[in-house]
Parts: sequence; structure tokens; C-alpha cells
Amino acid sequence: MSGPGAVAVTTPAPGRATALVPATVAMGRRALLSIVRQPATWVPGLVFPLLIAAVNAASLSRTVDLPGFPPVDSFLQFLLPATLIQGVLFGGIVGGADIALDIQDGFFDRLMSSPVARPAILLGRLGGAMVLGVVQALFFIGVFTLFGARVEGGPVAVAVLVVVAVLLAVSIGGFAAGIGLRTGSQEAVQNFFPLVFVLLFISSAFFPTALMTGWFQWVAERNPLSWMMNAARDLVISDLAFDDVVRAVGIACGFAVVTVSFAAMQLRRRVRMP
Amino acid sequence: MSLPIQAAGLRRSFGDLVAVDGVDLEVREGEIFGFLGPNGAGKSTTVRMLTTLLRPTGGWARVAGHDVVTDADLVRRSIGVALQDAAIDPLMTGNELLRLQATLHGIGRIEAKRRGAELLERVGLTAAGDRRVGGYSGGMRRRLDLALSLVHAPAVLFLDEPTTGLDPMSRIALWEEVRSLNAENGTTVLLTTQYLEEADQLAGRIAIIDRGRIVSEGTPQTLKAQVGAPTLVLRVDAGHRDEARAVLSGRFGTERPAPTPEAIAVGLDGGAGAVADVVRVLDELGAELEAMELHEPSLDDVFAEATGRRLEGAEEATTDGDDEGGTEPAAEGRRGRRRRGGTS
Repeated sequence: MSGPGAVAVTTPAPGRATALVPATVAMGRRALLSIVRQPATWVPGLVFPLLIAAVNAASLSRTVDLPGFPPVDSFLQFLLPATLIQGVLFGGIVGGADIALDIQDGFFDRLMSSPVARPAILLGRLGGAMVLGVVQALFFIGVFTLFGARVEGGPVAVAVLVVVAVLLAVSIGGFAAGIGLRTGSQEAVQNFFPLVFVLLFISSAFFPTALMTGWFQWVAERNPLSWMMNAARDLVISDLAFDDVVRAVGIACGFAVVTVSFAAMQLRRRVRMP
Repeated sequence: MSLPIQAAGLRRSFGDLVAVDGVDLEVREGEIFGFLGPNGAGKSTTVRMLTTLLRPTGGWARVAGHDVVTDADLVRRSIGVALQDAAIDPLMTGNELLRLQATLHGIGRIEAKRRGAELLERVGLTAAGDRRVGGYSGGMRRRLDLALSLVHAPAVLFLDEPTTGLDPMSRIALWEEVRSLNAENGTTVLLTTQYLEEADQLAGRIAIIDRGRIVSEGTPQTLKAQVGAPTLVLRVDAGHRDEARAVLSGRFGTERPAPTPEAIAVGLDGGAGAVADVVRVLDELGAELEAMELHEPSLDDVFAEATGRRLEGAEEATTDGDDEGGTEPAAEGRRGRRRRGGTS
């Protein structure tokens, strides 16, 4: 057994926290482990959106012939971005709930009593969410392609959709992490889940806003998720256009900036010595 | 070199509730210092302030020479912390947790691996290193928690109720570990406990804390000596009983109530050292010594002397222990919830 002096601790400038990058990687790896080892938290996020898509495609397939419906090959093609975004939004809640759980069961104290760079706590979680986002995007696009729903924009549009999925994973991850950090309650994070669900259903996800009526249409047209949905849909149902790419990535970036700022604010508040 | 732990007038209140009410502490290099008190006495709140998790509302504290508020990160570099409940992620394996903890402290990958293996062996968990912590027993969790707190070879180690909830065997194994750690590496240890025996067995010096204040402080021996003389209980043959009683109480101390009518009990003013003389005197009388026991004053006597209450058996009775958890729900609330995937 060696003495205390025998450990090579890489010491940065005194008084500062340990390096951000290795800590973020380590925390990200932990976030991923926690995802991989709890399949029950993300498998439904892959299966349910597919089920909803199957039901909608079966019951609403002939609506594509209605005047005012966007020019699509099939209702399934119309649904591809909706399913993709839905899956990502469902999956992204988990990371935030895990942060809350860390606070609840004292693991957060372990982090706080170590000199780890505080942003790594949030960045690691978001990193884990990004990896899950990539996997989900490829999974959904793959399954839809198998059933004949093509991405008209080609491989570039697919790549852009993956980027959008990652940005949305960060957005919802930031939102959930912010709530988790604010409340320190896993239940509180999960209670926000229905809100996401409602926002999704009062949007253009499963039906074009042009064919809606009354207050529902009014809300859906002003729902930021509709903007996101329409932008992603243009990548799927029309040929690649630079404008569409910018719009889709831009809106997703906007979401990410807002929610990650919220999460960063909550982290700063949480790590302040109480 | 300043003292490993130093505090003066340390205070913490939560609203109207004063959890720690002016604690002065001086823990010396290389000692095991015990913080003994009932639930809700302010032990954990004090530890949370010393480990930079909680801001004092009054007074100051320095750990490893650094102020716990203004130089919190320097303090964090120097301390190992094992808090109540051993909060460890049940989804991760022992090895993964050790490597994560090493990274949190800025230790490189190769060194972390070597150090992790060494520590697992030290706490006897090498075989379980690749198993998920969710399947560990309570004793294994505490030992892993201890290993985690040692990853960066801290100069000062904080153990908050390290054996609460453990069975006697696991408790003794953990004591052994702490003892050898202290002896071999000279690590300064501050441990809180509500167990008299733990404080007595493990700590070189003890502070007894009650209602946020230190009511008594010293080595277990001096504390108990303050209570008074140990009690010598003996039995001699019936023929010499009265004579022996008179001689002993006259020469060695005052007579005390004996457990049985046949026994003689004397408060031995000279302490254990006087036992030899007692035996010699009895021999001179021609009395036949049948049995003899020396009862040292216990820390419970010390606690009772200082607070007017007994600590022994108080654990079950105490229900108002909710000032220990800082701003978060108290330990009870945390313990009630389990991480998904945890099997115990």
C-alpha cells in the first residue's frame, strides 16, 4: 500500500476545479451506461412512436388526397418527421430524471464534495442524450425506409435530420435537466412529460394545420413544435433545398439555446453552496 | 502546517432552527476524531459544512489549511468524503465507480486503474469489482464507499455515520479498515457516530455534541475519568466479607451499591492501577478472592453527565432528527426512494 504522496494527481492551477473535458467525458459515459442499462426507459420511446405512426397511417391514409394536404407519396412519409421528433422528445426526458435522482439519493453530494468542474455534470448528461438522439434518428429513418417512406432530400437530408434529432435531444434534455436541477425531484421531471405530449398533439405532427379548424388550428399554427415539424417535413417530402436545411437546423438550435440556458441557470443555482 | 481541521464558532441555522450552534474544533494531524451524538444533534450539518456542501451562517472553518467557503475547491482536493447512506449508483460496477471518482479528482486513466485495483483489494472487493453495485450488500456498499473516498489519497477523511445500519461483523470489518488506514497512511479521520462503542473503539479523541453544541471533549479515557473512579466489584469468602468491605472502602475509595448482597463494590479512586494493591491487601487479610470485576465508566455515563440524558437506547426513541439533511429532504426521505435497477 503506497502512501498519500504516491498518487499522481494532475493538478491544474490551484484553487480551480479539475479539467472540464475528461470530467465531461466521464460523466457522459456514466449517462450512457445508465441509458443502456435501463432499457425500460428508452425502448418504449422507440416502440410507441412507431405504434402511433402505424395506427395513424392505417386510419388516415386516404386524407393525403384531400385538397390542401402537402404533396406527399404516402401518409407514412408525412408521418416520418413526426415519429422521429416524438421519439426524441420521449427519450430526452430520461437524462433529466436521472439528474433529479442523483440529487435525491445523494450522488450529487459526492460530485459537489469533489473538485469536478461543475458544467461537466450537465454537459455529460447532454452528451448522453445526443448519442441516444443519433441512435433514435437512424432507427426511425431506417424503419420508415423499410416500409417504403423515402426521404426525398437524399442522404444529405438524412444527415440533416440526424443533426436536427441531436439538437432536439439536447433541447428536451436541457429542459428536463433544468427541471431536475430546479426541483431535485424525479417525479417533477416525469410530470412534465404530459405537457410535451399535449404540445405534440396540438401541432402539425400528425395532421397538416391547413386542414384543421377553429381554436385547434389557431393554437397549432402558433405552436413552435409545428414550425419544427414543418421544417423537418420539408426535408422529407421535397427535394433538398438550402432554405429548408437552414430553417430546420435553425429552429432546433433555437430550442437548444433556450433550454440549455435554462438548465445552465438552474445548475449554477444548484451548485451554489446552500 | 496548520491543523487538518479547525473551526471556531461554527454555526448553521435553517430559518429559525439552529442546527449547529457555535462549534469549536481542533483536529490534529493523523488522529481519528470522533463526533458522538444522538440523531439531530448537528453532526451531519457540521460535516456538511466542513466538506463544503453547506455554507456556515456563522463562524469559520479551515480544512487542510483552506477556508471551507473562500477556498472550497482547495478543500475539495484535500478531502475524502463518505456520507451517510453511501449514495452510490447501483447501475454501475465497483470498478466503473472508482474510475469515475478518480476522474472527478483529476487523476489520469492509467493511474486511476492502478489505484482502483489497489483500493478494491484493500477493502476486499476485488472479486465483486465488475459486478453492479445494486447487488452489493450493505457492508460491501460501505466498503466501496470508503474505497471511493480514498481514490485521491486525501489528507483528511470524513466518515459520516459509516456503520449505521450495518450488522456487527461488517461494522467490525469497517473499523479495522479505518484503523489500518489511519495507522499506515497517517490519514486524519473525522468520523461521526451515534454508537458509543464505535467512538470508544475507533477514536483517539471525541467531541460529544448535543443540540448543536459540543458539550464535552477529550480522549475517551479522560472523558470517562472525569466521570469519576471505576467501580471495583469483588467477592470474597463469607468469613472475611465484612472486614474486607471496611478495609477497602476505608483505603481505596467510597463504597458503592453492589449488584448482589455477597459482592463488595468500591469506587476505586486510584483507578485500574490500584487493583494490584487491593489484591495484596486482601491477601494480607487472609481473605479468599472469589471473583473480581472492574467497571470503567462508559461514554454513556459521560454523555449523561453532560446532558442529563442517556445516549444508549435513545436511537429508537429519537424521532425529531430532521435537521440533519441540509436544505434537501432529510436522510429518511432519500432513503425511501430507490434508483431503478437497484436490487436492495
